[in-house]
Amino acid sequence: MHKKILLALLLLALPLLAATDSQWVLEQSTLAYHISHPLHESQGVSHAARGKGTCHDGQCDFLIAVPVKSFDSGDSNRDIHMLQVTRGAQFPIVTVRTRLPESSSASAPIHADLEIQFAGQTAQYKQIPFQLVIQGKQTLISGTIPATLSDFKIAPPTLLALPVKNEMPIKVEMTWHPQ
Amino acid sequence: MKVIRLAIVTFACTCLFTTPFSAFAQTSDNATSALPENPQENKTTPAPQDKNAPAPPGNPAAPSLQDLGFPSDQVQGNAELQARLDKRAHMLKMHQRFGLITIAPLLATLVSSAGAGGKSTDSTTRNVHMVLGAVTGDLYGITAYYAIRAPRVPGTETRGPIRLHKALAWIHGPGMILTPILGAMAYSQKSNHEKVHGIAAWHGPVGIVTGAAFGAAVLSVSFKF
Repeated sequence: MHKKILLALLLLALPLLAATDSQWVLEQSTLAYHISHPLHESQGVSHAARGKGTCHDGQCDFLIAVPVKSFDSGDSNRDIHMLQVTRGAQFPIVTVRTRLPESSSASAPIHADLEIQFAGQTAQYKQIPFQLVIQGKQTLISGTIPATLSDFKIAPPTLLALPVKNEMPIKVEMTWHPQ
Repeated sequence: MKVIRLAIVTFACTCLFTTPFSAFAQTSDNATSALPENPQENKTTPAPQDKNAPAPPGNPAAPSLQDLGFPSDQVQGNAELQARLDKRAHMLKMHQRFGLITIAPLLATLVSSAGAGGKSTDSTTRNVHMVLGAVTGDLYGITAYYAIRAPRVPGTETRGPIRLHKALAWIHGPGMILTPILGAMAYSQKSNHEKVHGIAAWHGPVGIVTGAAFGAAVLSVSFKF
């Protein structure tokens, strides 16, 4: 009888034993979107992203999130307008999910499939190149996400009746370390 | 006892049966992720109902938004604030539109001022100047209304070119009130065949400074300095 109970408990514990192998934490980051207008070039920067990665069966799932209102372009009026057009009060967080093989933890260019939730929409970007550099215990990842306003159904803001360009590349620089 | 044994065996079978499925689900996700069918194709879909706390898709081991430790007020959507931002954006768009429209009669008023003063006894040019000035004043009033009545966003510090734009309002705002008053005084003196004198003589300079401040306010938010 005891053996059977033990067997049942062991079977129950199997999924737990196969749980997370290692974890990664986002130490610091710089995310910058770039917007072009015939009269202006502007860039909004945020250092407020938080991220976590959990590795399991040779695959690492990463989640990076950043508050929309944390992006600073140096112009409060533009930042508030950005918050409005991206519906940043209704959807205050941008999330990025990706999955990478655990073996890609060596310095090399990597290609990641990204799923970004922003402005109430989800966009997927396939095979986005990133540069990965290992520095001691830290892993530096940098690259540019070729996002566009239309990917998230954002109506291009206008100034003097001229709309901004649809392209909104997002430059990413992140430092991760294992937990 | 038989019932307990049966329950344990059933439970064990359930565990054995479901474990491979969870492994299969992860393998399936990996395969999709590793082998994109079209690298150039990006897809957009509406986010799930609870957009700010999405469940890790098909993988309970993946981190969730709660794991990142954001304060709850930062992740919760605020429909009231969004409505406020929408109203603000609409009103500032109207402010911008009327501001641009105001430039036309303002320039015409400044141009017509050349023939309105001086020793000319013809009242036509003065009347044209006065009408253009009145149209400018009315449009300016509408422009100012939309800026003043636009809802403020609490906790926002004013930074960037908008500071200059707002500071210039302290020049062209009083100027837009003072100019027509001085203009009316000058018009009255001129109609009485008097030389424009006293404070009314400042109508021209005040009007020019007001127009220049207004133009600078438009340019301050139109071009990057």
